[in-house]
Amino acid sequence: MIQKKICMLGAFAVGKTSLVSRYVKSIFSDKYHSTVGVKVDKKLVVVGDEQIDLLLWDLYGEDEFQKIRETYLRGSSGYVLVADGTRRETLDKAVVLHSRAQETVGKVPFVLMINKADLADKWEIQSEAVTDLGGGGWPAFKTSAKTGEGVEEAFLALARKMVGG
Amino acid sequence: MGDAVKPGNGGEAPPVPAEDPLLVELRGLLLAAEKKDVTQIQERLDDPQSRAEDISHVLPEAIAIRSRRDRDLTDSLLPAVEEAIGISVRRHPDVLVDGLFPVMGPAIRKSITNTLAEMLESLNQTLAIGFSKQGLKWRLEAWRTGKPFAQVVLLRTLLYRVEQVFLIHRETGLLLCHVSAPGAAVQDASMVSGMLTAIRDFVGDSFGSAGAGGLDAFRVGELDVWVEQGPRAVLAAVIRGTPPKELRAVFTEAIEKIHRDHAGDLEEFAGDAAPFERSRGVLEECLKSQKQPAEEKAARRRGLRRYAPVLGVFAVLAAAIGFWVFTTVRRNERFERYVRSLAAQPGIVVTASGRRGGKFFVEGLRDPLAADPAPMAAAAKLDPKEVVGSWKPYRALDPPIVVARARTFLSAPESVSLRVDGATLVAAGSAPARWIQESRRLSRSIPDVSSYDDRGVSDTDHAGLDRLRKAVESRRVFFARGSSELAAAESERIAQASREIGELGQAASAAGMPVRVEVVGRGDSEGTTDVNLSLSRKRAEKVQAALGVPPAGVALAATGVGASQPLVEEKTDQDRQVNRSVSFRVILPEPK
Repeated sequence: MIQKKICMLGAFAVGKTSLVSRYVKSIFSDKYHSTVGVKVDKKLVVVGDEQIDLLLWDLYGEDEFQKIRETYLRGSSGYVLVADGTRRETLDKAVVLHSRAQETVGKVPFVLMINKADLADKWEIQSEAVTDLGGGGWPAFKTSAKTGEGVEEAFLALARKMVGG
Repeated sequence: MGDAVKPGNGGEAPPVPAEDPLLVELRGLLLAAEKKDVTQIQERLDDPQSRAEDISHVLPEAIAIRSRRDRDLTDSLLPAVEEAIGISVRRHPDVLVDGLFPVMGPAIRKSITNTLAEMLESLNQTLAIGFSKQGLKWRLEAWRTGKPFAQVVLLRTLLYRVEQVFLIHRETGLLLCHVSAPGAAVQDASMVSGMLTAIRDFVGDSFGSAGAGGLDAFRVGELDVWVEQGPRAVLAAVIRGTPPKELRAVFTEAIEKIHRDHAGDLEEFAGDAAPFERSRGVLEECLKSQKQPAEEKAARRRGLRRYAPVLGVFAVLAAAIGFWVFTTVRRNERFERYVRSLAAQPGIVVTASGRRGGKFFVEGLRDPLAADPAPMAAAAKLDPKEVVGSWKPYRALDPPIVVARARTFLSAPESVSLRVDGATLVAAGSAPARWIQESRRLSRSIPDVSSYDDRGVSDTDHAGLDRLRKAVESRRVFFARGSSELAAAESERIAQASREIGELGQAASAAGMPVRVEVVGRGDSEGTTDVNLSLSRKRAEKVQAALGVPPAGVALAATGVGASQPLVEEKTDQDRQVNRSVSFRVILPEPK
C-alpha cells in the first residue's frame, strides 16, 4: 500500500467538490473549505497489482478574494487541475495555478480535468485550446461529476505517472 | 598511537622510493625496537583470531558500560537475539523447553491468577456501577449518546487515556503508522492525518510562527490532541480526559527514537509506510492510561467490602436458586404423592409418569367409573395445567368399581348399600318392594358378579303398611247397651279411622298390594247369642256406612261376631262396655 499526497486545484465553482463528494471517500464536512481552506479526502486507485491511496487535498477554489495557501501544496506528489468547460476563464486560472504549483513542488505529475462534460452544448472551451496547452503536453480529461465520465481515468492516469516516475 | 603507526607502515613498504638510503638506515637504527613492536601490533590487528581474543577481554565490560548509558545496545541486539531464539525453537525445541520448564508452571499460574483477579475486579466495577445512582446516570448518558454503556463507564472512570497515536510524515502529511486503544472511536486514520497536518499548517500560517509548526496541543470537546514534532515526522496523540504533563516526555522520547530508528526511511519516504510498522511497538507504548485515583483508593479502603456487590449478587442468586430448588423439590414431591394416590385409586392403573417439556405427565388406564384425576391434582396442590394426563379407558374388576357399576346398573337407592363378597354382590339396607323385586329380576345380568344376595334388604313399603295397619286396628267405636246407634261422641273416632284407612289404601296401592279392611262388630256376653250376633252385625254395618265409600284399592267388609271374640275378658261393667264395640281388621298379602 502506497500513499500519495495529491492537491486538487481549480478556480471557484468548477465542480471540484462535486467530483470529490461523488467519487472519493470523504469523512470531513465541506465547511473546512471555507474555514481552513482545504479538505482532505481519499481516493483508492489500483495500478497493476499495487493499491495506491491518493490523499486528496482539495484546496478551496481560488478567486479574486482568496488565494490558495501554498503551504498546502508542500509535499504533493502530484496535482489535479480542475477547470469548468462552460467557463473559459477557469482554464486560464488552471494555467495560473499550474505554474504556482510548479514553483512550490517542482515538476511533479499532474492531470487536467475539464469538468461539466455533461453540458457539452454550453461549452466555451474548444478542443484546440486544450491541445495547445503547455505545447501540447498536458494530459487533459473531459470529466463529468454528474455522469462520472472521465473521472476514474483521470485519477488512474495521474497515479500511473506518479508510480512510474 | 596513530602517529606511531604511520611511520612504521612507511618502513615496511617505503612510501618514497627516492629517499636517502642513509636516512633509511638511521631510521632502522633508531626505531629498530619500536618497529618490532609495531609489526607485532600490526600482526595482531590483521589476525582475526587474535583480534577476537582481544575483544573477548573487554566485551562484557563494554556491554555493561553501554547498557548503563542507554538502550541502544538492547535495541540493536534485539533482532539478532529474536532471530536466534526463533531458529533455536525451530531446531532444538527440547533445549528451550527444558530451560523454560521450571519457570513455565509458575508463570502460567501467575497469568491465570492475574486474569481472574482482573476479571473479578472489572465484574465488580461493572456491578458496583450498574447498581449505583451514578451507574444509572451513566446508563442514561449511554442511551442518550448512543455509546455502549461499557464505553461510558470507561470514559467516566478514567483519569485519562491515550486513545490514538498518529505518526505523520511531516512534509506530506501522509500517515506512517497509527495505533489506537481498544474500543476507541477511530475514523479513517490516513485522512485524519492529512487534515491534522492541514490544520497545523493553517494555524502556523495564520499566526506566524512559521517553521516551528506552531500547534503543539489543542482541545476538541473531551479530547486533547498533543502534537510532538520531529524534524521529519510528527507524532500526534489523541487523549481523553486530563493528561499529566509528564506524558509529554513519553511522546518526546518516542518521536526521538523513531527518528533514530528510521533516519533513512524518513529521508527517502515516497509513500510506502511499510518500514514504519517496526515502530508500532514504540507507538503502542504511548497508549497509556490512568484510572481515577479516588476510585482505586476508595476501592482499597473498602477492603473486603469491595467484593460486596459480587457477594450481594451471589447471595441473591443463591437465594433465587435455593427458592427454585425448594419449589421444584416440593412440586416434585407433590407430583409423586399425586401419582401414588392415583395408583392407589381403584379403576386407575398408572403406566408412566414424569416430566416432559416443562410439564408433569401421567399416563395409564382408567375405568370410566374411577375417580376423576383432574380434581385430585388440584387437591394435591398441583396446578392442573401443569399436569398432562392421558388415559385409556378399560374395565376394572376392583371391588369398588364392580360395586359402582352394579349400583349404576341396578339404580340402587341411597338406602341400599352394596358390597362384593367373592363373586357375590351383597345388598343391605331398605328399599321399596318394587325395587327389590326388580333387582331380583335383574340379578342374573349384573356385570362381573355371579350371584346376588339381598337378604339384608328390608321392604320399606311393608314397614309403612304395617304401621298403618296397627293404627287402623287399634281404633274402636263404642256403643250403648243393646243399641246399634252411633253416639255423637264416636263420630270423631270414625273420622279418624276413615283417614287412616285412606292412607293405608294409598300406601298399599303404591306398593302394588291389595288391602282389605274388615269392620268387626261385637256385643257383650249379656243377652242371647242370636241377639248379640244380630246386634253386632248391625253395629258393624253402621260403622261401615259411616265410613262412606272406601278409597281406591281398599275393600271394606262388615261382619258381626257377637260375643264369640271378646276384646277383653268381661269381669266388670267396664269390660263389657269395651266389648260393645266395632274394631277393624286389616288384611294385607304376606310380604315376599
